[in-house]
Amino acid sequence: MTVNAITADAIVTITSLSLAYEREGRRNVILEGLDLTVRRGEFVVIVGESGVGKSTVLRVLIGLARPSGGSVRLDTRPDCRTPMALVFQDARLLPWRRVASNVAFGLEGSGLSGSQRLEKAREMLALVGLSDFADRWPHQLSGGQRQRVAIARALAVDPDVLLMDEPFSALDSFTREGLQEELQRIQARTAKTILFVTHDIDEAVTLADRVVVLAGSPGRVAADMTIAVPRPRRRRDGALLEAARQLRAELSGRSAEL
Amino acid sequence: MARLTPTLLAAAGLLAFLAFWEAMPRLGLINPAFLPPPSTIPAAFLKEIRLGVWSEAVVSSLSHYVAGLGVGAAAGVALGILVGMSRGVEAATAWVVRLLRPIPGLAWVPFAIIWFGVQPEAAVFIIAIGVFWIVFFATQGAVRGVDRDLIEVAQAFGFRSPLSRLTKIVLPAATPGILVGLRTALGQAWMAVVAAEIFGVPGVGARMMQASSLLSTDIVVVYMLTMAGLYGLFDTAFVALQGWLLRWRP
Repeated sequence: MTVNAITADAIVTITSLSLAYEREGRRNVILEGLDLTVRRGEFVVIVGESGVGKSTVLRVLIGLARPSGGSVRLDTRPDCRTPMALVFQDARLLPWRRVASNVAFGLEGSGLSGSQRLEKAREMLALVGLSDFADRWPHQLSGGQRQRVAIARALAVDPDVLLMDEPFSALDSFTREGLQEELQRIQARTAKTILFVTHDIDEAVTLADRVVVLAGSPGRVAADMTIAVPRPRRRRDGALLEAARQLRAELSGRSAEL
Repeated sequence: MARLTPTLLAAAGLLAFLAFWEAMPRLGLINPAFLPPPSTIPAAFLKEIRLGVWSEAVVSSLSHYVAGLGVGAAAGVALGILVGMSRGVEAATAWVVRLLRPIPGLAWVPFAIIWFGVQPEAAVFIIAIGVFWIVFFATQGAVRGVDRDLIEVAQAFGFRSPLSRLTKIVLPAATPGILVGLRTALGQAWMAVVAAEIFGVPGVGARMMQASSLLSTDIVVVYMLTMAGLYGLFDTAFVALQGWLLRWRP
């Protein structure tokens, strides 16, 4: 693959994005001059310390935060009703809806009938391995199951880009590793473009085609590293460990500069 | 056995209460005309039923109760949502609310009579006012307390209009709080029924006033117990409905 072919395939192009707000007369700059390109089908992971503005990038993309400068260009399918969908850190299921109805949530207003929406929801639940849980209430699920429902809910609207905001950080490490594998399997099957935010370096190298390090205050892209380890990946594979070591060095170097 | 004990204690407590009540007039400690012993109540009850007065009063009061509750609750939920969702409306209504809130329902009786005459509408109006404030504040608080994170979920999935925010998130999320207000109003409304009927609109309250002016205290007690019974019935049904509506909660 040549560099040119890759950039021609850009699906998200963020150019000199800035976000700042005023509070009590003080100007807080979260992001400044951020450039980032995500290619179609690519799994990009943004890592960085907390407070560096990683989540803000996703919130701008999904329209929950308004940037103060810069531009975002999407090359999504023109007929795509929901070009992006977001998986939050906490699953944020609607507790008064059964699991299937939660998954179908984003399809309401899409013109699909109720039974078509449920059909789609069941399909997505099968994809995340929760077919038997369609009629449960969210409170009856474990944390990991809830997060899988949240992933199914995001995938149900068939977004061109799946945004994931530290989706596994609140889970125990056992569940987390299981879901990391599940997510790779889902990506292999759906070929979705994924933009994933985490502060966990091992998680980043395990999942990513490319890791983008965000550092500084305001946050900027400090490093951009391709993880050329073939999939399916074995956890703690030598090449992944080496990539993680390099990333740690990169991050601590950046912190030392601050 | 452990679960039976509280029920037994409750029954024993009630029996003791009735025995005490029976003893007071019988021992001559209280004039039976001022406090009729409970043993005289069933006879008075049967007499009221035979005269057809009881069912007439109950049906009439129930119709005021249901209509007042419906009007007050509907207005309370609607305005509570409006004020809860919009800071502007909240600010604009803040002083009006402060001005009107402390006025007790009974204080509206003169206006109720002037506006509606001694008619069922007047009773409905007074009951509705009492219900309105309870439901209004409960709804406003519940709407204000809706988890912002869930509203973000709706926004992230493209539901950005106030109407879709209301139907998809705010209303279902506020339902538990609204139901608590409604249940309180369910009890308060019976108080208002008596108050509203005392000035002559036919019903349980009017019948009680009639009986008390004839010193037929046993009939007064019949209707006191009637109201307790009806309230118990409504409350039980409401709790069942509430349990079903909130079956999604752990």
